[in-house]
Amino acid sequence: MIAILAVAGVTFGTVGLGAWGVRFARTTSDLLVASRAVTPWWNAAAISGEYLSAASFLGIAGLEMKLGAGALWQPLGFTAGYLALLLFVAAPLRRFGSYTIPDFVQARLRSTRLRSLASAIVLLIGVFYLVPQLKGAGITLGFVTGAPYWVGVTLVGAVVAVNVGLGGMRGITYVQAFQFWLKVFAISVPACILLVHLGGLPGRATLFGGELPHAGAHGLVVHLDSAQRVEFPARTRYLLNGTAHMARAGESMTLPAGRLALGPGAAVPVAEGTHALRGARWARPVAGSGTSSPLFVYSLLLATFLGTMGLPHILVRFYTNPDGRAARHTTVRVLGLLGMFYAFPSVYGALGRVLTPQLYLTGATDTVVLQVPQAAWPGTVGELLGATLAAGAFAAFLSTSSGLLISIAGTLSHDVWPSIDGAHPTTVSIRRRRFRVAAGAGMVLPVVLALGAQGIDIGVLVGWAFVIAASTFCPMFLLGIWWTGLTARGASWGMLSGALVATAGILLDLTLGEAQGPAGALLAQPAIVSVPIAFAVMIAGSLSSREHPDFGPEMLALHAPEGLGLAQREQAHAELTPGAVA
Amino acid sequence: MSASGPSGERAPHTPRDELADATAHGEVYLRRLRQAQLALSLSALTAFGALFGVLPIALYLLPVLDRVHLLGVPVALWLLVIPLFPMFFGIGLLYARRADALDESFRELVRRR
Repeated sequence: MIAILAVAGVTFGTVGLGAWGVRFARTTSDLLVASRAVTPWWNAAAISGEYLSAASFLGIAGLEMKLGAGALWQPLGFTAGYLALLLFVAAPLRRFGSYTIPDFVQARLRSTRLRSLASAIVLLIGVFYLVPQLKGAGITLGFVTGAPYWVGVTLVGAVVAVNVGLGGMRGITYVQAFQFWLKVFAISVPACILLVHLGGLPGRATLFGGELPHAGAHGLVVHLDSAQRVEFPARTRYLLNGTAHMARAGESMTLPAGRLALGPGAAVPVAEGTHALRGARWARPVAGSGTSSPLFVYSLLLATFLGTMGLPHILVRFYTNPDGRAARHTTVRVLGLLGMFYAFPSVYGALGRVLTPQLYLTGATDTVVLQVPQAAWPGTVGELLGATLAAGAFAAFLSTSSGLLISIAGTLSHDVWPSIDGAHPTTVSIRRRRFRVAAGAGMVLPVVLALGAQGIDIGVLVGWAFVIAASTFCPMFLLGIWWTGLTARGASWGMLSGALVATAGILLDLTLGEAQGPAGALLAQPAIVSVPIAFAVMIAGSLSSREHPDFGPEMLALHAPEGLGLAQREQAHAELTPGAVA
Repeated sequence: MSASGPSGERAPHTPRDELADATAHGEVYLRRLRQAQLALSLSALTAFGALFGVLPIALYLLPVLDRVHLLGVPVALWLLVIPLFPMFFGIGLLYARRADALDESFRELVRRR
């Protein structure tokens, strides 16, 4: 009950604040003045608030519980991505004054055709990233209210679509900043209280020793809603609907729906696709094979390190910085703020391994963050902490999916629609109506995909979005900003081949199931192959171009510091401000 | 209305060449600034790679870090959860200061001419 109130409060608070705030930022000058008044700290909190998604809030702990400490490379990569952005992209991009990736592509490479390709990739990444957010919403609402999975997915999809369509959340720095602090509070305070209550990490033998995840001192009772394919990691006696059975070690079987009871200390059977790891193996960040092999870890780090700069919803927010210098210092603060958040998700994954081992059986490890409080501290306190976490998780879906849908709807209404009907809308009201329709239409495919993706881990889904971004937009940005030789032809070849290799790897991994060895690692996490290919093709394509335009003016716009009397740049920014067409 | 901005309907924004007008050597200076900034970014990247990039392979080659425990938690896990985030922040802060200084000296150079 408390949790329902908390979730409803966050949702209506966000929608309400967005609707209220948008009145004050309607005109270009309002937005510009506001953005001048926003300090780097507020800006950094807003960027972090938009960035911390279901993958950060639920996905990391879920993957950690399921796969082991190897999942903890993911938050490091998520944060380090902002270092790459800071070192190579932040200041030049702010100075250049393009608000979206297609805008940048068109202006830097002087090609409208390339703009269409960039728009297509924005849609691809946006959909990939939106699906796990909706999955998170589905399982969280299901956990809080007991509603079926599809209810949460469609409900949050609809709320976000309506909110974005009506103009909420757009450019509202303070709402996003508030969401960031809400998320930090919601993940850190319960973690600290639970650790103090439990007197440190419980069950060290389960966590770091030789034990498998097992039932607690009072045994374990699990209600299976549907038949479940499981594997017993050890010889186990169990009661199924009151009848005693014995399973051999390593035995696979399909358990029918019903009530499964395990005695105290019995090793928990695990859902198909999950491997029951002993503590010492589970706690190894790098191991010989699988999702903790060095090859996989490096590929994951490469994808997250280079992919962050190519996420469509990240870029826009950098323009609330007044200049390139502020863009740099905002990004530094983002590094600090994200680090503060990412210290905590790992606590829940570890507690979950000991306190909620039934999630190994049901496979629903993505809910571990929500389940742990009541398992650790039954009663009102646990309920209160669980409600805090559910509220934080909802803040995560709302802010990230709003940002993503704004990018998707902007691309749909701005690039796709005109190319279908052949004309650009001239009046503000037509543009506004198109954007609203696009916000609704843009949510349909992600909702449908999310309904089918219940069985795929949030962390895995988000990982794919990073791989595609790292294999397409990252090389385009790095070469486009720092190398005058990048041509439209090179960029299009490179982005196409990067996107093809990355999606081929992901699709093969999906269809082949779990491939073993280095090949399996590369299919599941293809960045270490697809990123170098994209770079190489981009360079080769550029060098072989027939025409090599002089990109001097673009380089000037990218790299010349402010304060040199280039006054027109300020005006160009004013015209390009997204609020100008609101 | 859309976040993608109106620039699709207009000619891509054309940067000005006042800098080139203001100083005959503007372009040369700007190229030098760009190279200096790139060198700075690459050196920061190298520091990042040396401190963080070697960690996965180091943990792979030194499994002892998984067995040695500090306050009941393997050292390898401590290394992953605690020190790296402040390190990213530190590298970022040092980089941003140096990059600002490069921009500032470029401004000085242009103003003096």
